[in-house]
Amino acid sequence: METLYQLLISIKTDTPIGRWLGPVPDWWLRAVAIVVPVVLILAVFLTLFAFLTWVERKTLGRIQNRLGPNRVGPIGLFQPIADGLKILLKEDIVPRGADALCHFLAPVLFLTVPLMLFSVLPIGRGLIAVDLNIGILFVFAVGAASVLALFMGGWASRNKFSLLGAMRSMAQIVSYEVPTVLAAVVVLMAVSAAGKHGVGSLSTVSIVEAQAGGWVNVSGWFIFQPWGLVGFILFFIGTLAESARTPFDLPEAESEIVAGYHTEYSGFKFALFQMGEYLVMIAMSGFTVTMFLGGYLGPGVDLPRMGWLLSIFWFFAKLAVMIFIVILARGTWPRVRVDQLMGFAWKMLLPMALVNIVAFGLWFYLGSGPMGWAVSVALLIAAFALLTLGGTSTRLGKRTYRYSS
Amino acid sequence: MNTAFWIISIITVLGAVLAITLRNLVHCLLSLVVCFFGIAAHYFLLRAEFLGVAQILIYIGAVAVLILFAIMLTRHVTGMEGPRELGGKWWMGASTAGIIGVLLWWCVRREVLTAMWPSSEKAQGLVAVIGKALVSEWVVPFEALAVLLTAALVGAVVIALEEVVRKR
Repeated sequence: METLYQLLISIKTDTPIGRWLGPVPDWWLRAVAIVVPVVLILAVFLTLFAFLTWVERKTLGRIQNRLGPNRVGPIGLFQPIADGLKILLKEDIVPRGADALCHFLAPVLFLTVPLMLFSVLPIGRGLIAVDLNIGILFVFAVGAASVLALFMGGWASRNKFSLLGAMRSMAQIVSYEVPTVLAAVVVLMAVSAAGKHGVGSLSTVSIVEAQAGGWVNVSGWFIFQPWGLVGFILFFIGTLAESARTPFDLPEAESEIVAGYHTEYSGFKFALFQMGEYLVMIAMSGFTVTMFLGGYLGPGVDLPRMGWLLSIFWFFAKLAVMIFIVILARGTWPRVRVDQLMGFAWKMLLPMALVNIVAFGLWFYLGSGPMGWAVSVALLIAAFALLTLGGTSTRLGKRTYRYSS
Repeated sequence: MNTAFWIISIITVLGAVLAITLRNLVHCLLSLVVCFFGIAAHYFLLRAEFLGVAQILIYIGAVAVLILFAIMLTRHVTGMEGPRELGGKWWMGASTAGIIGVLLWWCVRREVLTAMWPSSEKAQGLVAVIGKALVSEWVVPFEALAVLLTAALVGAVVIALEEVVRKR
């Protein structure tokens, strides 16, 4: 936003276009510099969302030995447009007992969350709407607020299934937020270790830049370090749970509670919920890419002119891979049970995240040579073995109800 | 700046007033969230982004959700409206509110209004300033709190593990 504003100012003062435009007031340029990124974000990510629904349905179809959508347009490519038109024309039903205001506000608020997340997502070198100096913290804060929108929707519907879905999603998001944030702590530690004089930063751009260098801008990615790989897996699982995707789609488990918190939504409000879910998934995949997979970095991003285009290409290529993994997970994994969900978050992910922080500490003091590698890998494997073999988190068996029996 | 301040202030105060006057508990909570958001917006307006985000993270992400969980465990989760009457001990609440009000007023008068606040230009790198202060001047309380909270977290997990381990 700031860069664009400076660019507009320089066009105004230094180029013939500026003289031709005449005296444009500065606040006008400021407004343009605010509106352009917003419009770009909406255009790019909403198109991506529409296309993504097609990709997901097509992939799921292939996994289930079907063809998927193939009637509207070539290989079903216009299916999202048809879906959108259909859902716009549907009747908007509000249940008689519903809390009308909350019922109306919930989908709107829910969609706001991912749109705010995109504002701090660097999608190319110098391409970020707002480079907040608290970037990653902002992501977690906004994500935490999304729980309330889900609860509002589920509660305002006055439907048992909606309320159950809302309660499930609250418990799930609150539980998985802890390991997700702790997994991200390692990245922030690494950024401050890479920075000059140990000065770190919470800005998403500085996280990407801390991964630059090395072999063709690839070997510096955090995922290629032992703590980075573990952090990546933990963060990825956490984001899967927070965006309520399979295998953590309990809030809308269709075989148990109809459609969860959006059971009583129809027409465009339902579409807003769907859109919000997909956009959260895109945004969280984007932040996974930013934090562990080098963001927009890749071979050739340091080239003078081509580099900028290549950086956008690399970001979206990595984003596509991440999203495809999420879709594959949906097509191939069963849903977990509620007690397994909670046990996994608190007894598996949380201890691993804490051990991972210690592993990074050892890595930092022992150096990134063979010694650092050996010690941190050994620590992580030992912790994992202890948690899976000796622990109880992954043991399947009869479900116990502690407080009700 | 001033217009934004007044708009946000009105929303914040309105949220606070609704939080104590509405009869439906969940509505009260949602109004309280509006109030919290207003306060966060004030911090952003003062360019204290870190404080604003911490406000959202702690008060909305944790406190409000905790209250929601508490409401869910009561019969008010159905949205039933409770009676609106003063209990027999209303004077206790009133006197508590009065004492806290006087204390707050006294603190604001004595400290806040007379303090030398850094200008917003200086506060640009606020996160870095806070970070440095936490690991230099305030390192002991900071570390003590960190250990305490981590111990609480691990302790909670251990309590949850306990029964299963015993059964084995």
